[in-house]
Amino acid sequence: MDNTRNTSREWAHGLTALIIALFLLGVSSGLGVMKSIVDIWGTVLSIPEYPALIMREVYLHWRSRSQSQDFLNDEVTRLKEENAKLRIDLARVSGEKSYSVTSSDVRSARVTLRAPMSWWSEIRIDRGEHDRITQGLAIFSDGYLIGRVSSVSLMSSWAELITSPSFMIPVVIEETRELGVVMGNGDGNVYLRYIPASKGAARAGMNISTAMIGEQLPPGLPIGKITGEFAVGPDGYATYKVEPGADLSRFYTVSY
Amino acid sequence: MTLIILWLIQDLLTVFSGGGMQIPGLFILGIVYKLLIDSGSDSAKGLTAIWCAFAGGILWDLRWVGIPGFFTLGYVTVVIIVIQVWALIPPQGRISGTGWLVFLLMEFSQLIPPLLPVLILGGSAGWVFFIRQQANSLPAILLTMYIYSRKVKNSQKV
Repeated sequence: MDNTRNTSREWAHGLTALIIALFLLGVSSGLGVMKSIVDIWGTVLSIPEYPALIMREVYLHWRSRSQSQDFLNDEVTRLKEENAKLRIDLARVSGEKSYSVTSSDVRSARVTLRAPMSWWSEIRIDRGEHDRITQGLAIFSDGYLIGRVSSVSLMSSWAELITSPSFMIPVVIEETRELGVVMGNGDGNVYLRYIPASKGAARAGMNISTAMIGEQLPPGLPIGKITGEFAVGPDGYATYKVEPGADLSRFYTVSY
Repeated sequence: MTLIILWLIQDLLTVFSGGGMQIPGLFILGIVYKLLIDSGSDSAKGLTAIWCAFAGGILWDLRWVGIPGFFTLGYVTVVIIVIQVWALIPPQGRISGTGWLVFLLMEFSQLIPPLLPVLILGGSAGWVFFIRQQANSLPAILLTMYIYSRKVKNSQKV
């Protein structure tokens, strides 16, 4: 009996609450006072909600900072790549400039010794300290780099040729801006090494010149052309044969 | 007091989410939990639950809907259904074998209140809100189930 009464009471209260809710739903949307009540309630709740609001602002700040950090990292990476490209371009421009300076202020030297035992490795020229020759100075033949001064004495100097196996200089393929290393083999051949075979777009006829990353030689000095012959090593890097721009079998004088 | 805290937590979480995430109905879940735990003792608790749900629903509507009645209807409906369904189970049978029923009642408490505004107002955005709310409610339901089962076990030990 009590149970039935309880159930009836619960039903009665429940239905009353539902009817009031429905009534409010029906009439409150048209009541202007409801807006004021909503505003007042919102103002009252703004006090306990304040910490949540602060936490939200902190969270949003942290998130935006984290996102901007990622953005900045991406931007830095992009700028680094762009900077590297610009440096190469700048090297090329300054190299051309230095080459033109070299060309405009060109001096010549006579080859005084080319020993058969080191035919493809070194030559001696008749200019020395007295003529402002310094170690590392580039020497040219027909406008192309053929070597650099390795030792200087008062009246003469020794220059190492690009066909020497110990002659290694960083270079750039001008058409693709790929960097590699030019080195000789001591038998009159010159090779371009360390070009990634998978990405390499080097083709026969492309020009190579010194790269800025080498400290001893100014960038942009022309060396020769790729002949197209190459071999891919087990390390995945291709080696190209280079035809020097200068005729290394017939030169009697060099310029510097 | 517990219900006031739950209402406030639900409110604070909604403020924190900024509307970007649908918060589970912790308040109504708390009412259902109390009904299931304390049921059968006297009808006053049932009546209290009805009017607590009514008050909490009105306040929620005033805070987040702007028109009182939407969540009020849902909360009161949930409480009435839970009271009536739970009353059908004999007090002796409420301990064992009612896990699924408890889960369904708790799930029901999360299903009805957000469903009513969607049905009344319509719109695809409302359905997205509803589905998200359901997904977010599940962990809260499972947690409440866990607390409920521990409470029942402890009461059995005593």
